[in-house]
Amino acid sequence: MVCVLTVLAGLAFMFSTSILLQILACALYNNWWPMLAALMYVLVPMPCLFFGGGSTQFLTSRDGGGWFNAAKFLTGASAMGSIAIPAILRHAGLIETGAMFIEFTSFFILVCTVLCFHRATLDEDW
Amino acid sequence: METLALLWGIIGPGVAGAVFGAGWWFWVDAVVCSAVQVSFLHYLPGIFASLAALMFNAVNKDEIGYDYYSPYGDDSEWRVKLWLFVAYVVSFVCLAGSVGMLVQDALTDKGPSVWTGVAGVLQCVLVLISGLIYWTCHSEE
Repeated sequence: MVCVLTVLAGLAFMFSTSILLQILACALYNNWWPMLAALMYVLVPMPCLFFGGGSTQFLTSRDGGGWFNAAKFLTGASAMGSIAIPAILRHAGLIETGAMFIEFTSFFILVCTVLCFHRATLDEDW
Repeated sequence: METLALLWGIIGPGVAGAVFGAGWWFWVDAVVCSAVQVSFLHYLPGIFASLAALMFNAVNKDEIGYDYYSPYGDDSEWRVKLWLFVAYVVSFVCLAGSVGMLVQDALTDKGPSVWTGVAGVLQCVLVLISGLIYWTCHSEE
């Protein structure tokens, strides 16, 4: 039985690490282009909030129904944007390869945070 | 086998979305990194491929079953099949068009680069594959 506080602290830590890495990718190379990827972090939760019924429950259910499928589709497309923007910036030569990889790591940690949050909210003791 | 179908129903739409996004982001990359202005003609295959993917996912899958009885009369399943046929023709023309543009870009130095052509083909292919993935996994209520 994990204490709720520990779970919350863990999630907060992972989330702040992700944000930290995002800012580091810009600060270490003195180039603020990578912040463009932060645009996607605004876009990704939107389908879940608008169509998903307010919780992340619909992500692992097979319930279907037109709106839930559309929400999953849009979430997938937006998440791809988080990977695509650093890659495009790198291809255009606007950022360094290191910054791109730091951004990928930040995105990966963010995804892990969301998955842990989803696992945690499934527990009735939440 | 049952769990695989279940799993596919859960993550399928998300995978379809990711593939769709990948297709369009490849195109954005080509337009951004292109040394010359990419004319509107080059945008068309991708746009129409997205339209085609939307078209063939808009059908109610029950309607093309064997013994579907429609409220419009006994022989109305031809409408659905016509719709699907048009979507197929549009997808085909998009693919052919994007391949044609790739060949054209590869042959001449004055227009867009080869990467623009390749990205156009990738965009069409990925968008159509995304439509197919969504077709296989979207469940009706």
